[in-house]
Amino acid sequence: MILRLWPVVLALGLIVSPLRAQPNEIRKSVARINNTMQEGNYRVPWLPGQLGGGSGTGWVVSADRILTNAHVVSNARFLTVEKEDDPKKYIATVEHIAHDCDLAILKVQDPAFFKNTKPLALGGIPELESTVSVFGYPIGGERLSVTQGVVSRIDFRTYTHSVLDSHLTIQIDAAINPGNSGGPVLQEGNVVGVAFQGFSGDVAQNVGYMIPTPVIRHFLKDIEDGHYDRYMDLSIGIANTQNPAMRKGLGLGDDDRGVMVSSVQSAGVCGGKLEVGDVLLSIDGHDIASDGMVELEGERVLMSEVAERKFLGDSVKLGVLRNKKPLDVTIKFDHAWPYLMQANAYDTQPTYILFGGLLFQPLSRNLLGAYRFQNDRISYFYDNFVTKEIYKEHPEVIVLSEILPDPINTYLSEFHDGIVDEINDHKIRTLKDAADAFAEKPEFYVIKFIGYARPLVLERSAVEAARERIRKRYNVLAEQNLSETEATSASR
Amino acid sequence: MRRIAFLFASVLLPLACPVQADEVQSEAPQSVVRVNVTNQPWDFGRPWGKRPPYSRRAIGTILPDNQVLVTAELVANANYVELETAEGGQKVPARVEVVDYEANLALLKTDDVAFLKPFKPLELTHAHIGDTLSVWQLENTGTLLVTKGPMTTAEVTRYPIDDAALLVYRMTTPLQFRDSSFTLPVIKDGKLAGLVMRYDNTTNNAEILPAPVIEHFLLDAKKAPYEGFARIGITSSPTRDPQFRKYLGLDASTSGGVYIADVQQDGPAAQGGMEQGDVLLQIDGQAVDQDGNYRDQEYGKVGLAYLFSTKHFDGDKVKCIVFRKGEKKELNVTLKHRPVESYVVEPYIIDRAPKFYVLGGLVLQELSRQYLKEYGNDWQKKAPENFVYFDHQQNELFKNGPKKIVFLNRVLPSEMTVGYEELSQLVLTKINDMAIQSLDDVPKALAHPINGLHKIEFDGEPKIIFLDAAQVEAEAASFQKKYRLPELQHLN
Repeated sequence: MILRLWPVVLALGLIVSPLRAQPNEIRKSVARINNTMQEGNYRVPWLPGQLGGGSGTGWVVSADRILTNAHVVSNARFLTVEKEDDPKKYIATVEHIAHDCDLAILKVQDPAFFKNTKPLALGGIPELESTVSVFGYPIGGERLSVTQGVVSRIDFRTYTHSVLDSHLTIQIDAAINPGNSGGPVLQEGNVVGVAFQGFSGDVAQNVGYMIPTPVIRHFLKDIEDGHYDRYMDLSIGIANTQNPAMRKGLGLGDDDRGVMVSSVQSAGVCGGKLEVGDVLLSIDGHDIASDGMVELEGERVLMSEVAERKFLGDSVKLGVLRNKKPLDVTIKFDHAWPYLMQANAYDTQPTYILFGGLLFQPLSRNLLGAYRFQNDRISYFYDNFVTKEIYKEHPEVIVLSEILPDPINTYLSEFHDGIVDEINDHKIRTLKDAADAFAEKPEFYVIKFIGYARPLVLERSAVEAARERIRKRYNVLAEQNLSETEATSASR
Repeated sequence: MRRIAFLFASVLLPLACPVQADEVQSEAPQSVVRVNVTNQPWDFGRPWGKRPPYSRRAIGTILPDNQVLVTAELVANANYVELETAEGGQKVPARVEVVDYEANLALLKTDDVAFLKPFKPLELTHAHIGDTLSVWQLENTGTLLVTKGPMTTAEVTRYPIDDAALLVYRMTTPLQFRDSSFTLPVIKDGKLAGLVMRYDNTTNNAEILPAPVIEHFLLDAKKAPYEGFARIGITSSPTRDPQFRKYLGLDASTSGGVYIADVQQDGPAAQGGMEQGDVLLQIDGQAVDQDGNYRDQEYGKVGLAYLFSTKHFDGDKVKCIVFRKGEKKELNVTLKHRPVESYVVEPYIIDRAPKFYVLGGLVLQELSRQYLKEYGNDWQKKAPENFVYFDHQQNELFKNGPKKIVFLNRVLPSEMTVGYEELSQLVLTKINDMAIQSLDDVPKALAHPINGLHKIEFDGEPKIIFLDAAQVEAEAASFQKKYRLPELQHLN
């Protein structure tokens, strides 16, 4: 579906500076960021993970902060920033990181870094066909690079950093290459975007994307209270109502208004408040057209754009037609969408349990990237995790992802790739549930897998006898990690 | 899953290896004929039509009573069958007398009694591991090409219809490509030991549909109606793991027994009182080993399916001894063939037109594996993932219905379906508030429109759509004409 979308700049905390930055000042405020990163190892989750390096661009956004892309500073172990005309490497830390809109704020320990820099001011949405300049440190040389291009398209697109989120994106034809990420895109001295993704040359040429200022402003506003809350979402599906019979069936007149609610996520903000078959007529007083568009300040945009602009704690008012009777429903954005297993995860430690040589891990996009599972149930559970509300019974889908061969599990290969349902009659909803069940001391551990009636049975005495053997043989540093947060990885 | 290519479905490359065509039996051409078949399968993507016809040539083996034996694959969806003498090229039309797609066998007959008179029918003989077998092919001249090789294995494995597992012989032999190389007879001591079912030209391994299966088929073919190979209706899992045996309470004195992981709902085993969780110890006085094999007098260790399906017939009673909760129990199970119609997702639909119902442009069909196979050889990867999942897990997922999965395959756009054009591959659950159990329910549900509208509900987005009942009826004829559909529905 192609969305014609052009949200108007929000009047937020940051006011566009009337003074335009001069080219020299811009150069001084653009920094090169070097990231020494370490990604969790999902195949051998007790290992510290592979070390890697990367570099990107950032720019001074306020007196003592740098803005860049989240993907430039994800999984960081050590960050340095450098400027042109300054030989020093400054040590930086991540203050805020927003994986859902690929933006991050860095703090630099030494205030000397900000000497001679001037915060770059945010502008609006550039006109189609107007010229913009991209500043950054892409591959192909050491010094600051500037390229120019025109604004080709303004659209809603997937942000590949998380892969689960879509926001407003501006396509430009300036060359954007690895290393440009996080760099400012300027027009008439104001920042109109942050360069963030593109295509590799063998897919498409001269296609680069930047994050436009409404998304940047939304991020900056969200972190004003010192905490990033993420984008808000109605978590509903809608169906258009262009068909005359459809309109008649829903009790709609001939006015091209209204969309039908086709799904309501019970874990979302509309859970329990909207029903499948409801018709949404208006959102915050804006009429919703039969194709799901609303008119905001003279532009037709997708109705979800109204929710895009909200923050945690805000509300939205929906005009609803339920069973052909009008009704007002107020939805409070009291929580962000909780289940992110289908998104790329960063800055997290893989969680797992190793028990009797059997490795149990929660299903996630990262896990699927690390293994080639043969069980079609895993892909079904992954793809339908949200649409079929699998999260209700299995907030975490626990997979037997690997078997480290040992005499106690040598006959168990048929269970590889299975999804755990019960352990000793305890329903397993999360990895923690599995850890609790394994902490008990029954004679046999009886593990049941979904759709597989033959249970996996481990004798406790055999598990205990094998424990040291397996630890030693496979150099297992920790037998479980139940916490995704980096600092406090538990081990037993 | 079939990993081995079907015999000569693609062109077999000439082999470097010399052919052992040392022995040409003069009587051989007197026992085989060429069989020319024109096949035309239905198009399950556009279920009102057939695909372009294609022709194949094969070798038919002449059996007593003027019958010609070929594999069922050869005559699947056959429009026209003829027999041709190897030398002289005399042709007569023939018809398929009996066909069993699960056992992959078919008997052909011709009304021209005189045609087969000069031939010498072949008798059947069993082959055993170590025997030297000869594969017969025909040269263009009509002379016989004989290739020899040793029989290496006899085992139960999957047949082309993925759901059936029956005995095969395996042999190693360097077969050459010849024009009519479908269904080649395999000969031992001048008698028929089997038909080549699959051949892998990289390993020179041939899978032979063996004499015991052919004999069973011929006995069944004498009865009307044809019953087909019986099943017991269980899924088993090995009990090799000592921990599992201990958990089940099997003491050291019991050595074998296979775990019953699943019992087909209302299937023969279930009706005989077998339960999931039983351990099957004995059948017909034969001990069952830990892997679900028994010791056959002729073939040694083979899978139990050989005993149920090939050595027994539909309606036979077998005595089973199971171990359940510490006790041995004797059960009497009456073996039955499982009719293809009893599957929710039918494993094959051959020689039958697919069912469909075109409702105002919505093309409704029943999900079948034959439909999924329209996605090509790697349909398990290419077909809609949830449909593949439904097919694989059908025994587990649909115990409480529906009888068939009715789905919207595509929309043929018209005035009636404006706004629905892009809907496809959606499972249909209800029409006019009536649950749809099979495509036959559709006309019944359409007889009761709600306020002049047909309300149609799906399992996925958009969940609900409406059609104008009067419009659908009024425009049916012109719609049918516009899309040149021979009919708007095909039900039973």
